[in-house]
Amino acid sequence: MEVGRSEILGAMDRKEKATASLLKRVLVSCASQAKQYGGCIAAKVPKVERDMCLKEFIALKIPGPRGLFFDDGNKLLISPTVDQVFSWKTVPFNPAVAYTTDAITEGPILSIRYSLDLKIIAIQRSSHQIQFLIRETGETFSQKCIPESERILGFFWTDCPSCNIVFVKTSGLDLFAYSSDSKSFHLVESKKLNVSWYAYTHESRLVLMASGMQCKTFHGFQLSAAGIVRLPKFEMVMAKSDANSKPVLAIEDIFIITVYGRIYCLQVDRIAMLLHTYRFYRDAVVQQGSLPIYSSWIAVSVVDNVLLVHQVDAKVVILYDIFTDSRAPISAPLPLLLRGFPGPNTDVRSSKQGSTSLEADAVPDEAIVYGDGWKFLVPDLICDHVNKLVWKIHIDLEAIASCSSEVPSLLEFLQRRKLEVSKAKQLCLTLTRTTILEHRPVATVAKAIDVLVSSYTRSSKVGPNVKESKTDRLQSVVPQVSGSGPVPGANNRNSTTGVESEALHRTSIFPSSDSEENADIEQLNTVPGDHQSIVEAQASSSQYLHLGPGCNRLNDYVSDEGSLISSPAISPDEMYSFVFAPIEEEIVGDPSYLLAIIIEFLRRVNIEKIKVNPNFYVLTVQILARSERYTEIGLFVQQKILEPSKEVALQLLESGRHNFPTRKLGLDMLRQLSLHHDYVSLLVQDGYYLEALRYTRKFNVDTVRPALFLQAAFATNDSQHLSAVLRFLSDSTPGFKDTSDYSRYHHILTEMNSCASA
Amino acid sequence: MGLSTATTAVSEAIQLCVFDSRRGQQEGQELDKILFFYPADLPFTKQLYIIGLSEGLITFTRTFSPEAACEVIEAEKHSHVFFEAEQDIWMVLVVEKNKELEAIWRIDALQKLLKEIHSLFLMFHGSIRLLLEKEPTGEVSRSHLYSFIVDYLNDFLVGKKLQLPSFADCLKERGTVQMLTIGRDAALEVQALVRTLDSCIGNASCHSMILFQDLLVSTTLSPDDTTNLFSYAVLRLTPRVLSSGASSWSYLIRGNVSPHVAQHGGNVGNHVIRPLQHGKWSKGRDGFLETDIWGMEASGWVGSTPKIWFFQTGEQMCLYVHQHKNLTLILLVPVSSIPNGEQGISIVRQYILENASLKIMKLEEKLSKGWSGENAYHVGGYRYLLVDDDRQISRASPPGKVTTLTKESLLAMSKLREKVDLEKSRAKQDSDGEEKELEVTIRAKNNAWVISRITRGKELYMVLEKANETLLYASDMVEKFSNRYCNGAFSLD
Repeated sequence: MEVGRSEILGAMDRKEKATASLLKRVLVSCASQAKQYGGCIAAKVPKVERDMCLKEFIALKIPGPRGLFFDDGNKLLISPTVDQVFSWKTVPFNPAVAYTTDAITEGPILSIRYSLDLKIIAIQRSSHQIQFLIRETGETFSQKCIPESERILGFFWTDCPSCNIVFVKTSGLDLFAYSSDSKSFHLVESKKLNVSWYAYTHESRLVLMASGMQCKTFHGFQLSAAGIVRLPKFEMVMAKSDANSKPVLAIEDIFIITVYGRIYCLQVDRIAMLLHTYRFYRDAVVQQGSLPIYSSWIAVSVVDNVLLVHQVDAKVVILYDIFTDSRAPISAPLPLLLRGFPGPNTDVRSSKQGSTSLEADAVPDEAIVYGDGWKFLVPDLICDHVNKLVWKIHIDLEAIASCSSEVPSLLEFLQRRKLEVSKAKQLCLTLTRTTILEHRPVATVAKAIDVLVSSYTRSSKVGPNVKESKTDRLQSVVPQVSGSGPVPGANNRNSTTGVESEALHRTSIFPSSDSEENADIEQLNTVPGDHQSIVEAQASSSQYLHLGPGCNRLNDYVSDEGSLISSPAISPDEMYSFVFAPIEEEIVGDPSYLLAIIIEFLRRVNIEKIKVNPNFYVLTVQILARSERYTEIGLFVQQKILEPSKEVALQLLESGRHNFPTRKLGLDMLRQLSLHHDYVSLLVQDGYYLEALRYTRKFNVDTVRPALFLQAAFATNDSQHLSAVLRFLSDSTPGFKDTSDYSRYHHILTEMNSCASA
Repeated sequence: MGLSTATTAVSEAIQLCVFDSRRGQQEGQELDKILFFYPADLPFTKQLYIIGLSEGLITFTRTFSPEAACEVIEAEKHSHVFFEAEQDIWMVLVVEKNKELEAIWRIDALQKLLKEIHSLFLMFHGSIRLLLEKEPTGEVSRSHLYSFIVDYLNDFLVGKKLQLPSFADCLKERGTVQMLTIGRDAALEVQALVRTLDSCIGNASCHSMILFQDLLVSTTLSPDDTTNLFSYAVLRLTPRVLSSGASSWSYLIRGNVSPHVAQHGGNVGNHVIRPLQHGKWSKGRDGFLETDIWGMEASGWVGSTPKIWFFQTGEQMCLYVHQHKNLTLILLVPVSSIPNGEQGISIVRQYILENASLKIMKLEEKLSKGWSGENAYHVGGYRYLLVDDDRQISRASPPGKVTTLTKESLLAMSKLREKVDLEKSRAKQDSDGEEKELEVTIRAKNNAWVISRITRGKELYMVLEKANETLLYASDMVEKFSNRYCNGAFSLD
């Protein structure tokens, strides 16, 4: 029965109209089940178009649920009932996802997680016992915590080579390995620590354990496929309201986030109303500055490497791109918009400028934004406990783009987006185009071009770099690129871009150098070489969300540089065809501005040693010729600003119809490019047939028809010349005397001579 | 009288006059024809004699060749070099033939000299005809011409003697531009700077020219304007000229000329602009060159902004010169688009200082780094001159290297050039725009090879001393040179 519902939901994934009507029927006919539908949440600004709505729902309808759990190792949403456990895959996010069930024994459930190979379910039954269920056979067995004084705070599965599961206890960590033969776990290692509470995300593979009176002293471990790394102990900063009060840090105040392959910890300081950020390096934890907060309940999500700080009380979200040192938000605080939620008045996009709680009326009661039942899951899901809905957060790039005027930084932001690559790319192109059409200052446009070009360079350089580093590095330095291989940057740029996303998303606690492409392989020099193996291999899940089925992910080291565009980087060719060519048609009058932009572009591209499509130079010549700036054409050609190519040469010849020196530049370029045939033909065409003949002799050009020379010589009406040409051709071209050309012009020559003598 | 006292001794050797054959047609008014005469103290009868003779020759030759009257008349003792600067306004240079080596001239070089005088005059004063029309008595024109040409000729004064370009200068081409060869990187930097300069005043079509030392780096002007402004810059603006300062010219002249000019021009009540006067430009603290040539602003503190005329469009432009070390930037802004006098001018300057300073500094550094000194364009074993007629560009062996050639070689080259000039001007008249090719290779008396190649608007002159004796060797040397330095333009065989 539930399956049927999912199918209905699946069918909804169509055009809005169809969806709306279908949903209307569903809502009317099964009003009680309507509660089971979810929707998507979009962080948005007021202007949104109608068909941008995402229809992403997960229906969580099961009889008698006993809580909701999220297994971030497998991205599973889990809801147990008395004797069964239901699980939904959240990746890829599919509203029509079917659940799976497993029978379990009765008993309390404190937490539940599937093993990473999904073969075993671990259920924490009490603070002293964790029960394991082998899914294939239904066998169960338990692992108990021996000393009664210790309590199990929680557990997680790991892909660390030495162990499979980690128990976090008040006395520290217990690392267990599973042996499939004996169907049992044996203790591999214990890390003795006092733990008040802990935080773990599978994404970062990082477990942080709080201790001390204020719970602000932290120990951390990273348990990844590359081994175990112990982080140095560190203290978090907490402001005091007065001398005597000692605020205690709670588990809700700590967030581990992964952006751009770096791991950060965010800590809410309720007294100072600040969100402190700490960045993890393998041998240090460095505080990175603080973000202001405006709410006592703060939640954090990461979508496509953008940090979303939900100011829950204020019902707004602030977006940060913490790639650079800048701690400025991307835009002003924005409301969350529930989208794709089919209500009677769906035309929510009717731009409610400035309204904070958008669409409250459009959304059924159960889907209130920032409701009490909201639980924020790592990294970008929101689970509504009360209403049993799962939302996925989506960032509306278009809306962000339309509300920022700072073009270069906006482009930078867009260039870093991996989730909606083609949209980001499209937006970048549009933005650049508009900036130029609006005649913004050259410096601004130059900066924008700078952003695009350096982003392109990065994306085309990454491939070879990663490969190189792999060869001289341990095998354990994980993987990711195995499938990609080095892609020669020169001839195959577009396909290399795939590699970057990979590199960017790798999680690592190595310090990143400034250069992006090396972020994951560079070492802090204080680190001894043998520790390097901890590079965390897990690709961030967010990257895969849009890839859809067929990309089986998590734990594997898929390289997904297929036919998909995986980076919004814009190649010079695309710059030409989508920015300059269209603009050139629109800009009329004085071309100085466009010329200045072209120069800036060429300059940037030249610094990065990227090749430019000859069409680009052709365009430049056209622009210059149109305003009769022939001196500059000459200068540009001479100084090789316009790189020689046949296309440019032909354009010079064309533009030189009214300016002879320019035409000559074209001819000279043909000669320098050794395009003998074209050069000779043009020489003859201009009447320089003797020079052309000398040239053909020197370079053995035999592709030009002899008749051309003869015609040209005949046209001068000079029998001597004609005879010379005839003679030359007879001598140099074997078999020429047998051709019709020879006999024809020989005849003409005799006639000319007889006329002359007569 | 003025200059004459200093030059009496040589007065017979060289005479230069400018006259308007439309004026003074009636008897007794012949003096009205004379717009300029050097030496000025030559008795009027002699002046009239020379002008009369010249006019007669022109009229006579016109009957045969109405389009182009005579260019040169070789008499037994003198050569008369003619140049029709504007319609019916003639410049005639009379040079004495004597035994001295310095007196061996190439006519074309002298003609180019006259042309240069006139082009520069046009740039600063506009056309002579226009001046005459504005003020029919001709007093203003005369005073302008006088101070201008005398200032110009001062550069050729060696001691008390005028020394015009002789055979020793056969590997030079007046009226062309010498360019700095730069790589693509630098070229793009230059262009980025040029775009910044050109946009200095909104949408107005500004122009600019950039020089490094005495070499052109970039220009957005037409070829003619480029050549004129370049010539002027090399004569008066580049760091080399500024640093040599007043020492390079004679105090004697400075002391004498001024009162003389006052005599001529003072009574018109019009300020005589003397852009070719030495030592009038100086670098200000902000890097802009200042001058009082164009008088002083009303405030009396700063010199008026220099203004020049464009050759082709006839547009009047304000001239700004900014200098940073070896880099000279010349910016031209249409007078019409400068909003309000002094204020507008300071806006332009401010704009450049704010927007271009950094670029200028970086560029200067880059170019200086890549510059290998005054012998940068020396090619071992060759003494050459390369001319691109289409773009009015030339390049030659550095003067220091040319002086190592023997007199025989230079004389032979000078003679060869004369022949080539003749051939060229004939070809120009005969054919309908078609360019001829020409190859001459001569073995001179001193066993040097003297070579000339003309192909499609490009000319190459070359002297090879101490070279092998076979012709094959000589043409091989040309081929090598052509392939390496001229993109193979001269290697057709």
